[in-house]
Amino acid sequence: MHWKRLAIQLRSWPLLLCAVLCGCSTHADFLQQPRDLFYRNELSEAEKKFTSLQRKKREADVAELDLAMIELVQGRPKEAEKRLKVLRDRFDELEKQSIAAGTLSYFTDDQTRTYAGEDYEKILLRLLLALSNLMHDGGDAEAYSLQMHEKQEQLFQKAVEDISEDKRTQVNQAYRPLAVGYYLRGLLREQTMNNYDDAVRNYEAAVSLNPLCEPLRWDLERAKHGVYCSPGHGVLYVFAMVGRGPHKIEVAEYATSDALLIADRIVSAVGPMSVPPTLAPIKIPKVVIPQQSIDCLGVSIDGTRIGPTASMTDIATLAEQTYDAALPKIMARAVARRVVKKASIYAAKDQLAATTPLASLAMDAAGVAWEATESADTRCWGLLPREIQVLRVEVPVGRHQLQLTPVLDSRSMTKGVNENVEITAGRNTYVLCYFPDTHPIGEFLISHR
Amino acid sequence: MVLGTGCRGYQFAHVIKPDAANMVGSHKAGAEVFDPLIDEAVSKLLSAECGPSPDMPAMAADGTPLKKTICFIGVENKSAEDLGDFKDQIYQQIDARIRESNTFSAISRRMVDAALYETRLRPDSLYIPDNMRLFTAVLERQGQPMDYLMYATLTSGTTKRNNNTQRDYTLTLELVNVNTGVATSQAAEIRKGYHKSRAGAWWNYNPFASTSGE
Repeated sequence: MHWKRLAIQLRSWPLLLCAVLCGCSTHADFLQQPRDLFYRNELSEAEKKFTSLQRKKREADVAELDLAMIELVQGRPKEAEKRLKVLRDRFDELEKQSIAAGTLSYFTDDQTRTYAGEDYEKILLRLLLALSNLMHDGGDAEAYSLQMHEKQEQLFQKAVEDISEDKRTQVNQAYRPLAVGYYLRGLLREQTMNNYDDAVRNYEAAVSLNPLCEPLRWDLERAKHGVYCSPGHGVLYVFAMVGRGPHKIEVAEYATSDALLIADRIVSAVGPMSVPPTLAPIKIPKVVIPQQSIDCLGVSIDGTRIGPTASMTDIATLAEQTYDAALPKIMARAVARRVVKKASIYAAKDQLAATTPLASLAMDAAGVAWEATESADTRCWGLLPREIQVLRVEVPVGRHQLQLTPVLDSRSMTKGVNENVEITAGRNTYVLCYFPDTHPIGEFLISHR
Repeated sequence: MVLGTGCRGYQFAHVIKPDAANMVGSHKAGAEVFDPLIDEAVSKLLSAECGPSPDMPAMAADGTPLKKTICFIGVENKSAEDLGDFKDQIYQQIDARIRESNTFSAISRRMVDAALYETRLRPDSLYIPDNMRLFTAVLERQGQPMDYLMYATLTSGTTKRNNNTQRDYTLTLELVNVNTGVATSQAAEIRKGYHKSRAGAWWNYNPFASTSGE
């Protein structure tokens, strides 16, 4: 009889082993090498690595986001826009967690959950759609900017549903709209020379979100009392993606793990059977912001210094605030997951009548191993910049040489990069570039070229 | 579990028949507000101005009635809400109503934009006589003489009562005679209530509703 029970227990091990073998690595592990290639400007190699990540089902969409970034800096805004549109639609579909994926995540880890993008990523996706479109066609940029506002409003409404008053401030801060979205709509409306009221409304919104940005106040003043530009001139907008943006790493949450360990020891002591001890720490994602190596870009035209780009949106701070607002839910899921796993082992012991010390120890060990295979969900749009900065300058019609110089503590770090731009009378010309540090990634994108 | 997975993320749509009522926006004004506002304001304005003017000939040399030309500058939004994609829609609807009338014709929006581009004038500065003359001269040079400048302004007034809000929308159409400088205007108004619950409409707008701000 004793041998029969042991035989039953031994037959249950393969099942436990199957559970143990689920999901040991996290997205951050896959991301390190292709990110490094991207920041070394080895774009073709980075593209190949990210393309290979697309084969992994749970990494596919996140790899697509990074591939869109690579296409953009390689001077392929049309392809980037196409990819981002598909992702936008897919993320909208995936916003509602499937019941199956949500339930399964309590037996594995958060990586099983469907990834529909962080809220700030959904907004930035629409912003980059607008910027990509501006670089080649411009016809849909206004529509994308409107969609951005709609999405911001929708996400904010969802976030404040059933939220207590004491959490309201934190949520308001995390979900405040992006100033650059209003700015983009304002500049598009101002260009028509017939919708200064729209431009004023949007610039006012941008100023209220970014009150320290002096150039925004100039834009507002011009929209209220001035004209778009003088005759014989056009307007150049330099959109600079500056610095390395946030990404997530996996960290161990020891405080909660210690509390759970005490709790499960109490349960083991008072209950008829033991539960697996919390030896493996709970792992959660943490937002990391790389150190800043440049502050902004200095802009010169035909050798004349114009000024520095001004920060419109701080993506790093946004990511941190959104993460802080979401942390309680992440922790709650992590604790609930451990409880589910311990309860499963407890139920299995009961079912298999594993009351002998050896059997109980074996099942506890399996439980610990099961818990140890958890990984944090570090999926994120890893190639975002730290900030999006803008400079507007009115330029006479014709061909000019534009020079962009990385600046840190008001000092130019390098000689900068030169590019020719053609200015059209009474129209906007856009330049988009990515400076994660003192050297640009890829090439400059210039509209009308 | 299967049902939950199968239905997730789907969206459904249908084409709304022309005579069917518009959906009522729950958070801001939409077609249910703008369509009747435009209809009423444009009808009032055109019927008030359709008579003969002493400064404009009513007939051409061959006896055909001359239409008065309106240069519709644009829609100015001074309301509490962003118009989003409705702004251009409102412009097009007003423009279409003008063209449908027998008494008035409208200058193409592209011509208007081109003239604003050439003169670099702000739309709200066209009231100044010198600016108006310059703008008119540019349009005449383009073969588009005009008799009137028209502005549309959307305003709103908001009344709050606890969790309920009433917003009054007014669309004002202002017509300025470029020859005499005389301005006339007509307005249309719609009131709309926003409530946190379905009972809010009945609670605030029944015949026995309290007139104090409780």
